[in-house]
Amino acid sequence: MNEQDLRKMVEQMVEQMVSKDTSSTSTSYESNSRSSVASMVSGECLPDITKIDLRKQFLVDDAKDKEGYLAMKAKTPARLGVGRAGARYKTISMLRVRADHAAAQDAVFSDVSEEFIKKNNFVAVKTLCTDKDEYLTRPDLGRRFSPEEIEVIKKTCGQNPKVLIIVGDGLSSSAIEANVEDMIPAIKQGLSMHSINVPPILFIKYARVGAMDDIGQITDADVICMLVGERPGLVTAESMSAYIAYKPKHGLAEAKRTVISNIHKGGTTAVEAGAHAAELIKKMLDKKASGIDLK
Amino acid sequence: MREELLSVGIDIGTSTTQLVFSKLYIENMASSYSVPRIVIVDKEIIYRSEIYFTPLKTPTEIDGPRVRQIIEQEYEKAGISKSGIDTGAVIITGETARKENAKEVLEFLSGFAGDFVVATAGPDLESIIAGKGAGAHAYSKEHSTSVVNIDVGGGTSNLALFLRGEVVDTGCLDIGGRLIKINPSTHEITYLSKKVEKLIAKHNLNIHIGMVATKENLDPIVKVMIKGLKQSVGLAEIDEDYEIMITNKSIAPNQKIENISFSGGVADYIYHEREGKEYFAYGDMGVLLGEAIRQSELCTQLHLVKSVETIRATVVGAGAHTTEISGSTITYTSNPFPIKNLPILKMRIEEEENIDTLSEALQKKLDWFKLEGNLQRVAIAIEGIKNPSFVQVSDYAKGLVKGLQELISRELPLIIIVEYDMAKALGQAMYHELQFQKDVICLDSIKLDNGDYIDIGKPVAEGTVLPVVVKTLVFNE
Repeated sequence: MNEQDLRKMVEQMVEQMVSKDTSSTSTSYESNSRSSVASMVSGECLPDITKIDLRKQFLVDDAKDKEGYLAMKAKTPARLGVGRAGARYKTISMLRVRADHAAAQDAVFSDVSEEFIKKNNFVAVKTLCTDKDEYLTRPDLGRRFSPEEIEVIKKTCGQNPKVLIIVGDGLSSSAIEANVEDMIPAIKQGLSMHSINVPPILFIKYARVGAMDDIGQITDADVICMLVGERPGLVTAESMSAYIAYKPKHGLAEAKRTVISNIHKGGTTAVEAGAHAAELIKKMLDKKASGIDLK
Repeated sequence: MREELLSVGIDIGTSTTQLVFSKLYIENMASSYSVPRIVIVDKEIIYRSEIYFTPLKTPTEIDGPRVRQIIEQEYEKAGISKSGIDTGAVIITGETARKENAKEVLEFLSGFAGDFVVATAGPDLESIIAGKGAGAHAYSKEHSTSVVNIDVGGGTSNLALFLRGEVVDTGCLDIGGRLIKINPSTHEITYLSKKVEKLIAKHNLNIHIGMVATKENLDPIVKVMIKGLKQSVGLAEIDEDYEIMITNKSIAPNQKIENISFSGGVADYIYHEREGKEYFAYGDMGVLLGEAIRQSELCTQLHLVKSVETIRATVVGAGAHTTEISGSTITYTSNPFPIKNLPILKMRIEEEENIDTLSEALQKKLDWFKLEGNLQRVAIAIEGIKNPSFVQVSDYAKGLVKGLQELISRELPLIIIVEYDMAKALGQAMYHELQFQKDVICLDSIKLDNGDYIDIGKPVAEGTVLPVVVKTLVFNE
């Protein structure tokens, strides 16, 4: 069997499976899909299965203690209690995994939109990478800037600023769009309690965390707080981290960065992370240290 | 990174007064690349006092100096000084809470026992504390089930229903071992409580002060009490007798109850045979009541769970299960702690809708806390939003600052308690809104209701979190 035959066969199987299984999956999906039959004609969209809260979805038939199971499920994003069809997942579980995987891939391969950058008054710069493929295959290039970009950085941030907030797309553009608008004002507000103001915010395309070291080298900032999209997973594609370091320079040991990770709707909320980051920044300025040196 | 808090629990009950010391261990459970999450990871009872009869000066007055003496003595025996106490609670329970000087004694003791030892009273809180001390709370969580704990003490039976580690409901009945007191040597009845007298009259029972009690002649009144307990957990039809026996409220009927556990002094005779113990050896009807419960349908119709504490459940609960830890991302711009006995003004979720609804509702409700026109100290409790945007947080801050102008102008402390995790950002936003001119205390991850009080202790875990006790202060007249 050559590849084309195989593909055809799989396509047929998937088609059959989807049309057959709409009648035998969970009730919530059943009612959704029934309306979708009509929607094909009307041109509406299929119901978005990624909108279903997995912690509340329960697909086990004839469970002995459904409420007890749901109480446990509320504590984990793991796909538990999904039931089975024979030895396999139910269709809705299978489709959901694929949908979540697709969202994760989109988060990596899409760009933070121009409008978003403009709306937030970010100053856009780019690392030495020329496209996504190069960004993914050459981490070293994602940490350095060209002479032209260095001029922009110098002009934006000035020399020896006390605190810089910078944003990098990293491995999830969705994470940036979902969180920075709530996190940055929270950081700024927290810093204003200590009369600290920050220069305009840089947005770095094709950014690795190490890009903050180059910016530290260029500007000699006391503290840099870099918000960067985390590698997406199946739980969420919108998770962001804040990497904060005191006087970052080329060759900075990773242990000298302080990290707040898992900033997303189901994790640490962006506003609280921002308020916490502001306090960390203040502490770093006082103690002149970051990462494991900050005790 | 593990930190220890030394906690004291003191229970002044209808029949007994006790004390325990326990250690609470707190730890940051979050990984080092995350915001901190400080929680109580373990609790350990390190000292249990003797069990004393609660000293009374007169039938309606607690002997305060004698109680104080007992406590001083036990501190000394345990080798613990007042200054070493980090937290804890004094609870005044059962009929003792209805004594004339209950409030004074309680307030005095909480100050006497340590800087942050809080005063608590109230039948609902008592039920919860006893249930937690008895281990019903932990059992329901561990086995993912429902457990009702009945703390059968001297004056009252306190019910707490737990479902998977959450308190579902509480109730309190005037059923207890010392509602009838009996001379241990002559077996003469020396005291009948008012409610017992009422039940005796209603049923024309031949029981009166001065007569010699036997198992047989007390049997009818014991039966009424057993019926009351059965009614409380849905094993018998509700009737007029039950209405008489209810202290303030019972647990709502028709709830699914799978397991039952007992605590309180009477519980020892529910879990264990009397083994030749004289029925009236304690000078009351407790042994008789315990044995009757043991033989009743309460222990066969429901699955009987062994409690971890019996007579000490309430004091262990007060010592080990009252202190909570606030959320780990909070704001406090000054350190006036400990703050004690703060009443709660809880907003309804509809009132939190926008700046105007919040500020207007606040202005109106602050009037409730005026005494002769003077605004008293009060903490504002709100629910908040699960994943708030920065704009939403700012709106909350504006609404709160606007609505609390009177509190601010009178220089009363500004204390906000949010249920959802948003206190750090909200506190900072309020401080910003106040131009950094007025101190703000903003905590989260604590659920409160109108009628509750909150006590806030000195910061722990390098200032990250504040120990908190949520409680009631109800003295029945």
